[in-house]
Amino acid sequence: MKNKISRLLSIVCIILFVTAHEADAQYKEKNYGNTPDKVVPYANFQNAYKKHFVEPMPFRGAGREKAAPTGLETVKIGFLAPLEGSKDVPKGQQMLQGATLAMEQANAKGGYKGTSFELLPHNDVGLWGAAANEVVAMDDEGVWAIIGSINDIVTHVAIRVALKLEIPIVNVGDPDPTLTETNIPWVMRVISDDRQSSYALANRIYVQDGLSRVSLLRVNNRYGRVGTGEFKDASTRMGHPVAVEIRFEDGDTDFSDQLNKIKTNNSEAVVLWGDAKELGLIINQMRKMGLNHPVYTCDRAVSPEFLKVTGGNANGIIATSQYNPKADNAKLHAFKKAYKARFNMEPDVFACHAYDGTNITIESIKKAGLNRALIRDVLLDLATFQNYDGVTGEIIFDATWNDVGQIFMVEIKDNDFNFSPVVYTDQKMKGSIK
Amino acid sequence: MKLKLPMRASTWSMVLLVAFGASLFSFNLPNSEVSTENESTYNSVKDEKKVESMPIYGNWKTYGKKDGLPSDKIYCVRVDGDRVWVGTNQGLAVLENSKWKVYSEADGLAHRSVLSIDISPITGDVWIATMSGLNRFSGGKFETFTQFNSGLANDVVYSVICDDKNVWVATGGGAGVLDTYTGKWGIYTEQNAPMHEPWTYNVCAGGGKIFIAAWGGGVIEWNKSTKQFRDYTDPDGEMEIDLFPDDGVVHDITTAVSYADGILWVSSYFGMSRYDGSHWKGYFDHDSGLAGNFINFLKANGPVAWICSDNGLSSFNGETWVTYKNLGNDKSGQVIIDGNSENERILKATTSISHNFIIGVDFKDKDLWVATSQGLSHGVVVGQTEIKTSKL
Repeated sequence: MKNKISRLLSIVCIILFVTAHEADAQYKEKNYGNTPDKVVPYANFQNAYKKHFVEPMPFRGAGREKAAPTGLETVKIGFLAPLEGSKDVPKGQQMLQGATLAMEQANAKGGYKGTSFELLPHNDVGLWGAAANEVVAMDDEGVWAIIGSINDIVTHVAIRVALKLEIPIVNVGDPDPTLTETNIPWVMRVISDDRQSSYALANRIYVQDGLSRVSLLRVNNRYGRVGTGEFKDASTRMGHPVAVEIRFEDGDTDFSDQLNKIKTNNSEAVVLWGDAKELGLIINQMRKMGLNHPVYTCDRAVSPEFLKVTGGNANGIIATSQYNPKADNAKLHAFKKAYKARFNMEPDVFACHAYDGTNITIESIKKAGLNRALIRDVLLDLATFQNYDGVTGEIIFDATWNDVGQIFMVEIKDNDFNFSPVVYTDQKMKGSIK
Repeated sequence: MKLKLPMRASTWSMVLLVAFGASLFSFNLPNSEVSTENESTYNSVKDEKKVESMPIYGNWKTYGKKDGLPSDKIYCVRVDGDRVWVGTNQGLAVLENSKWKVYSEADGLAHRSVLSIDISPITGDVWIATMSGLNRFSGGKFETFTQFNSGLANDVVYSVICDDKNVWVATGGGAGVLDTYTGKWGIYTEQNAPMHEPWTYNVCAGGGKIFIAAWGGGVIEWNKSTKQFRDYTDPDGEMEIDLFPDDGVVHDITTAVSYADGILWVSSYFGMSRYDGSHWKGYFDHDSGLAGNFINFLKANGPVAWICSDNGLSSFNGETWVTYKNLGNDKSGQVIIDGNSENERILKATTSISHNFIIGVDFKDKDLWVATSQGLSHGVVVGQTEIKTSKL
């Protein structure tokens, strides 16, 4: 009898262990950031003494004991995005509209225990330090969480202040890989970063398309520098260091100097990184100069503005996207319909991710109650929102609460975007999560 | 069963020595005794040195809202002679003659969140870094400096120090310096200093230099004589790893710097670094007595660095670690000597720091003040670690 019980207990233990192991499997990464084995830093030479970001950083401070206030008129959520005085205003407006729709829908369902949610928009002007003051202002306003922003500079400054003030931040539009590499246990990102896009691009260029000599032409700002950083590293580690890196200024319209350099350097392909308008102008000038290289570019090209600027010149260009706006996803269809009805326009990438991020934020407040530390705990427990099924598809978080879910390759055909999942023929280029 | 110790200093020293020999044994620290044994000396034996003993603090007392502070959440503490200035998330307080006086925005404080405080060695003015501007408290009045009325780079001021007549600040938009004689400001960002980004988090002075903890840029050093900058960054250049622990700062996202006795101490949210002018050494919570890798602040007092982590308060002199922890379930605590080593000793204490999430620290003589996420703690020296030898 004793033997039977102990055998039974052993079996139960094994089942529990296996189940727990499998439950954790999607965010217990082999390499941080879903990094393919082939591009792990220094992997061919030396094992790192300390690997960061493989376990989530806990928040060990006080605050969970704080009682929820009573008699609130609204439950406030801060919102930070470029809303005026910036060329990114169209992106910020889409983001605001996505968040607004999520909030209105939540309020129609009763808000937070009968109290309405209220979005408090703040303008991010893209200047160093300005966001710090905005986050302090949001703290003074009594927000429970913050959604934002797009600009990497602004968002970095914001999360640093939010850490000090202990406000959860859900980022919905900044793809800077370093944002979640700060070990700040108050930040979640629901949009895949440029690390994931870079790996997908490198896989496409060097493995799938078999190219080896690439020129990089990028915007001369932090977005361009940090965004292409992982691509350059991946290229080098795959044995194909970028042949030349050339920069242009944001807002430039003449790229002949840069393109003349590319014309003479025997590149097989060109990688472009910048905003939609400049990318489109570069494509036009390349084709005009007879530069018919294959062109690979970042997700900012996946926009109607890019197609408008390039006319028919963009056919064959390959880009990446953090989601598939043409996916056969019932939630996405419903969102698009509601968005069109509410704002009389199609949602873009920022609207979609803002909608998902705002819904996650609202759900975390509903679950945790009005206590920032407890809201943080729900947001970042890597269980409640792990594999979240949103309008942007499945969101998979790594140990830094960064979205490392599916990246899509985008090919432009007949002046239209065609989305497909990344194809991995070399298993060493496939991350461990998907 | 807890062993109650007699209160006499000689007996206490003897028991401590016994305790160090028996690593699994634990004690209650006495509440009021201070060991006078084990003065630091250096051995004459060739190739070996005697390492300075470390003070052990106890007899902890906690201050909070119930005592007159504006909040239990303490961001910083600064000892100023017989006064103790305290920055909280709800205002500024000063302890003087055993009484707390509180200052708020209504009194002229730039913002209720007070992140850093320093005292001018020349005038005695109190400089206060807040989330929305910099204050000078002089003659009972507050003067406010913001990015709109002065050369302050950004209104979120994380750190302030007084270096002779100059006041240095680390802000969300760059480091800055105010010459209090001329009123002129200097601003240092990625435009004119070797910073990756202009976000700065902490500043300290020492050895004829100013050191700035630059978020993402490691440590920026300003040489006051040559008026030149140089930077110290993580040589592996990667955010997700530390390739070698002793090749430079352990990570480029630095949170605090402190210089004393020729040693530069650097904290980050990834571990700690120590630089003696020739060699770097990195410390993590898995390979040393460091309480936690997430370090909010550190400050050196002579040869000893005080490290404010999210998991307890550690002190370290380059050889010996002493870490203080609140056990959570009551007011008792732990003193861990040389944690994570074969010589680890754990002492139980009847009093403790008020919370393990440590944000700030300051000291004077044998008094130690600790800013935590839940209360301000005050401790005094109650003992010393043993003298030990170390290979040269």
